[in-house]
Amino acid sequence: MAYDDRVIIELKQVVKKYAPDILALNRVDLKISKGEFVFLTGPSGAGKSTLLKLLYMSQKPTSGSIMVDGIELSSLSRSQLPAIRRKIGIVFQEFKLLPQKTVFDNVALSLEVLGYRRSQLEKRVKEVIEGVGLGDKLYRKVVQLSGGEQQRVAIARAVVNRPPIILADEPTGNLDRKRTLEVLTLMKELNARGATVIFATHDETLFKNTHKRVLFLEKGKLREA
Amino acid sequence: MAYEIIIKRAFRDISQNAITHLMTTLVVALTCLIFVCFCIFSFNLQRVAEHFGKELAIVVFLKKEVSQEKVPIIYQRIMGLNGVESVRFISSEEAFKKLENYFKDEREILEGVDPLFLPPSFEIQINKAFYNPIMIKEIAQKIAKWDEVNKVQYGKKWVEKLESFSKGMKIAVIASAILLLITAAFVVTNTIKLTVYSRQDEIEIMRLVGATDGFILGPFLLAAFIQGITGAGIAVIISYLGYNYVLNLFGNKGFLLSLDIRYLPIEYIGLIILISGIFCMLGTALSLRRFLRF
Repeated sequence: MAYDDRVIIELKQVVKKYAPDILALNRVDLKISKGEFVFLTGPSGAGKSTLLKLLYMSQKPTSGSIMVDGIELSSLSRSQLPAIRRKIGIVFQEFKLLPQKTVFDNVALSLEVLGYRRSQLEKRVKEVIEGVGLGDKLYRKVVQLSGGEQQRVAIARAVVNRPPIILADEPTGNLDRKRTLEVLTLMKELNARGATVIFATHDETLFKNTHKRVLFLEKGKLREA
Repeated sequence: MAYEIIIKRAFRDISQNAITHLMTTLVVALTCLIFVCFCIFSFNLQRVAEHFGKELAIVVFLKKEVSQEKVPIIYQRIMGLNGVESVRFISSEEAFKKLENYFKDEREILEGVDPLFLPPSFEIQINKAFYNPIMIKEIAQKIAKWDEVNKVQYGKKWVEKLESFSKGMKIAVIASAILLLITAAFVVTNTIKLTVYSRQDEIEIMRLVGATDGFILGPFLLAAFIQGITGAGIAVIISYLGYNYVLNLFGNKGFLLSLDIRYLPIEYIGLIILISGIFCMLGTALSLRRFLRF
């Protein structure tokens, strides 16, 4: 089958079952093109997080195939996982930051794993932190920041190595209205710069009047909203 | 992966988690201290046993009628036995002189006694490398069967006691070492597990941002190796100071002086420190394994 190079994510008949008999994803088919901004919505427990976990390979599908940037994930060996994960920036609802480390250290981690030395990554890290509006809090410990600020650190960490794909799993779930809109604006800016964004949320107001693509997941079944 | 980054990360981890690292190092030091003390004890016990063993010689008394010409032949036969280090012939005259020396001021007791009344004999020293109580017994029994031999003495009771003591000690040393190693492994790996668990969020985040296993494992393993050798080093220093203190307190007492208690040789110390480092690395690798799965 010819590979469509405009498609960056493709799922075919993907099924994910959890023991004993929970069907989280039921024969999901999906194509996402490069540079798209996609909202993924549905009630709690619909399978949004499961779908994203399959994309960043925290879990394996029970059956079906998943392609990311032209690579079939089931064919990857353990040693190839880091390379594909570097193509994906992930933002979580619960931030997943290192609270006792500074904003700089948290963001720099994504570049350190690529083998950059501190002197080499310093400029880029500062630039990205300034880009999310935290330039004055570079060397603050994350634990000293507000929830909104922590989520911006998480976004900075996700994009610092310029990944072509950004997965955001309920990134505004723990934020107030003002901070929610700030995060959404940041994501849209990243998308405008060329990143493909999948934004999982159950907050309908975020995509109510949008012209972006909205996918609806319910009881493991995916449909275009 | 640049080793420089791994080394820098390891030292940064140590300084940022100084208290956790210090606690683990102290647990390692305590465990090693018990092990080092045990090694000093068993090492010296072995030496004492060997020391007593070396004191034991086989004395072969020849029949009085054995001619002088036969002595070199018997000498050669003894030297030809496996495990014999040296043989010394003691003639009847020499034996009598020894007896005179033994009585010193009371040598008049021996007046009128025939200087040839004592039988000629051979004193056999066993090769140190071959030494064991069973071998002494075997050599003695073999020589006793020769026609020219009247009697063989080899401190039978001593040899038998030493034999059972050596056997018992070997079993005790091996059993204690295994028990101690299992306990040490349990304590150290659990302490390391606690350290690893306390940082599982960090490991998960590193995995998600695309860190390779080497990038995650490297600094942990290096830090664990440093903890292992530092802990063992502390144990060696404390045990050496303790050894010197005890020696100063009791070392001039006759019995201890005769035993010549020694500290562990440098090769043992090096081996203990190296094993401790490797042990901590293995414990860490095992604890980390479950966090590095798919």
